[in-house]
Amino acid sequence: MKKTLIAAALLGASTSAMAVAPGGPGCGWGNMLFEGKSGMPMHLLATLVNGTTGNATFGMTTGTNGCDTSGALTYSGQSLLGMTGVMEEVAQDMATGDGEALTALSVSMGIQTEDRARFNALMHENFATIFPNQDVTAAEVMASITDVMKQDQALSKYLA
Amino acid sequence: MRTGLFCVLLCWFVPAFAATPSLSELAESSRWQALLHINPGATLRDKHQSYVDDDTFFFADSGKADPLAELEATEQALRAAQSPARCRFPARYRFLSEQLGWQDEAPFSHCDDYNEWRDAIHANRAVLVFPAAYLNSPSSMFGHTLLRLDQGEDSAVWLSWAVNFGAVSSEADNSFFYIYRGLAGGYPGRFALVPYVQKIQEYSHMENRDMWEYTLDLDQSEIDWLIDHLWELKDINFDYYFFDENCSFRLLELVEVARPGSELLSELRFAEVPVNTVRALDERDIISSRHYRPSKSVELDNLRKQLDGSQQKMARALADNPDLAESPAFMAEPEATRAIMAAVAYRYIRLAHRKEERTPEVAKKSFALLTLMNSLPAAPVPKTENPEPPEKGHGTQMLGVSGGQREGELDFGELTYRLTYHDLLDNQYGFLRGAQIEGLDMTLRSTESGQVKLEELDVVSIRSLAPRNRFMKPLSWYVEGGLERAWAGRRRLVRYIQGGAGGSWLWENWQPYLLTSVRMENNSEFGTFLTPGAGLDAGILYHRGDWQWQLGSVGHYFTNDEYRSSSQFAVQWAMTRQHGLRASLERENRRGGYDDEFKLQWRWYYD
Repeated sequence: MKKTLIAAALLGASTSAMAVAPGGPGCGWGNMLFEGKSGMPMHLLATLVNGTTGNATFGMTTGTNGCDTSGALTYSGQSLLGMTGVMEEVAQDMATGDGEALTALSVSMGIQTEDRARFNALMHENFATIFPNQDVTAAEVMASITDVMKQDQALSKYLA
Repeated sequence: MRTGLFCVLLCWFVPAFAATPSLSELAESSRWQALLHINPGATLRDKHQSYVDDDTFFFADSGKADPLAELEATEQALRAAQSPARCRFPARYRFLSEQLGWQDEAPFSHCDDYNEWRDAIHANRAVLVFPAAYLNSPSSMFGHTLLRLDQGEDSAVWLSWAVNFGAVSSEADNSFFYIYRGLAGGYPGRFALVPYVQKIQEYSHMENRDMWEYTLDLDQSEIDWLIDHLWELKDINFDYYFFDENCSFRLLELVEVARPGSELLSELRFAEVPVNTVRALDERDIISSRHYRPSKSVELDNLRKQLDGSQQKMARALADNPDLAESPAFMAEPEATRAIMAAVAYRYIRLAHRKEERTPEVAKKSFALLTLMNSLPAAPVPKTENPEPPEKGHGTQMLGVSGGQREGELDFGELTYRLTYHDLLDNQYGFLRGAQIEGLDMTLRSTESGQVKLEELDVVSIRSLAPRNRFMKPLSWYVEGGLERAWAGRRRLVRYIQGGAGGSWLWENWQPYLLTSVRMENNSEFGTFLTPGAGLDAGILYHRGDWQWQLGSVGHYFTNDEYRSSSQFAVQWAMTRQHGLRASLERENRRGGYDDEFKLQWRWYYD
């Protein structure tokens, strides 16, 4: 159960925060498939200085340049799916059944190497359930992943 | 036997003496010097002083310039058990406790923040990351370097940390102000620790930069030194100078902490170009492996090239209208081809809109294409064949010697020096295609009569010829300025700045380009102080094997009714990595005449 809680936290399963905008306003940039906020001026400046804008981050729970910190855990406070663009990458990997984003997700959920192929295949088969439309939130995605894993003999143990 | 005993005794006693060195000896040790970021002579500024520009980093008032005083003060501050100072300087504590034989089972038991942070950063591998050149930003033109700390598995680098050194600016600063302050050292620089996945998003997706990842041959103990020291640098200000004390330079200091005495900073490092950081580490055998991470647009290109022209057209149309997936024409293609077309369409639409606000329309189309991809077999991205590692490219500085003939004048000889870095005819192995960046390129010419004159001085010359295709439509542009010889009654030295924008295309090995061009010239023969002109800059590049060809023309019509153009046919043979032979034939046209010039140049690249 603990692993699921961690994963839920990683994915930013706090509905209130996620439904608004993954990462929160002022965090990240670019057009997101699912949700997000464009922050090109921020991005441009970060590029210009090869670094960070405003409050520098140091992997700490506070001061993470406006990104959502409600999820706790991974990256000491920033939720993985809540990070700009990550949910989109996870969706793309699930659609095709493989990729770095999907691996990162399974590693963060504590899924052992020998079960990862099964996890990838399961996510691929159930893509339509997990991502029913383009307005799905990270919390809903996480809930669906858990539901799908519950039904699976090999993977349900990671929820126990 | 007696000698043997003596030897045993000696071996007993020598380590005993060595175990408690004096503080003045310790202050000279390479680890202590590295921990304080003492400049060993790598830059002329702050020589033998610390690069850290922050009082909170030192215990002693004279700590910045006096490593011994700082060591004594540190020893005082860290000696007591439960000393709060230990929580801020765990690497210094480790150094002193090892050298002075301090015994403490749990020296950091009272340091909650540090322990929590340290547990989260439990890396066992350090990787130097080099996002390649990005011409659209002045600070990234030469690339950038950062450090990645991996927590274990090869496949899970998305969960790694990125250690980035950059200037801390405020949002209010605009870019011009930044450039000035960045060059002049007006910004403090700091280390930041951010999720690596953000850096992948930033470089590979937003800026379309390839990334090179170099695993460093550091063992666990060395990596622990590095991480502990990183904590000491939290919120600590360094000066940030664009040219030398930049991202790359600071990373070398970190490696020096992990492995003191690697002498990464022993040579003078002016204008630290990130690729030279990679070379410095490579030359000292600190790099154990190399990994290439293509940008999103390279991936799209690799996918697209599996399709023929009509299939590419169909994929492009599919991106605009995902309903075409139901059309007979689409269904007529084999399943594997349909999968590639769907992947190309999806990746294209994501890439094309990456810098815009989310719109319901684009999100809907993207999602439809993603669902289509899911219904088809996976279409893996073909690997880039033989990607060229940037550190294997030619050296960043160049010396050239040439001889030639100019119509109506005597033969001439020339000496050329270029501080940095690459032009379109130089050996392009390891460099971004179609990208030219030159800084401080100076040529002296001597004719048979013995006079030596400045022929030209390019202060800066940047050219980005990015090919356009059905999917990607980047703008090509250029900007340059300096001094050069131009006709005004006779050949005179004029000061100018010019630039322009247009397009470029790529067919097989041919790359034509067409750009508009505007020029401002300060010419003593012209009536006005600054004379504007406008015109075109067009040509074609051809590359095959070790040979690079260019045929090009640039011409301007000035507001004072002057007209001038120059056409050039040039070829360079890349004899070896560091040597090139270039021949050029140039015709300079002016109102009422022209001059031809032929030149043969040997170019030697180094550093």
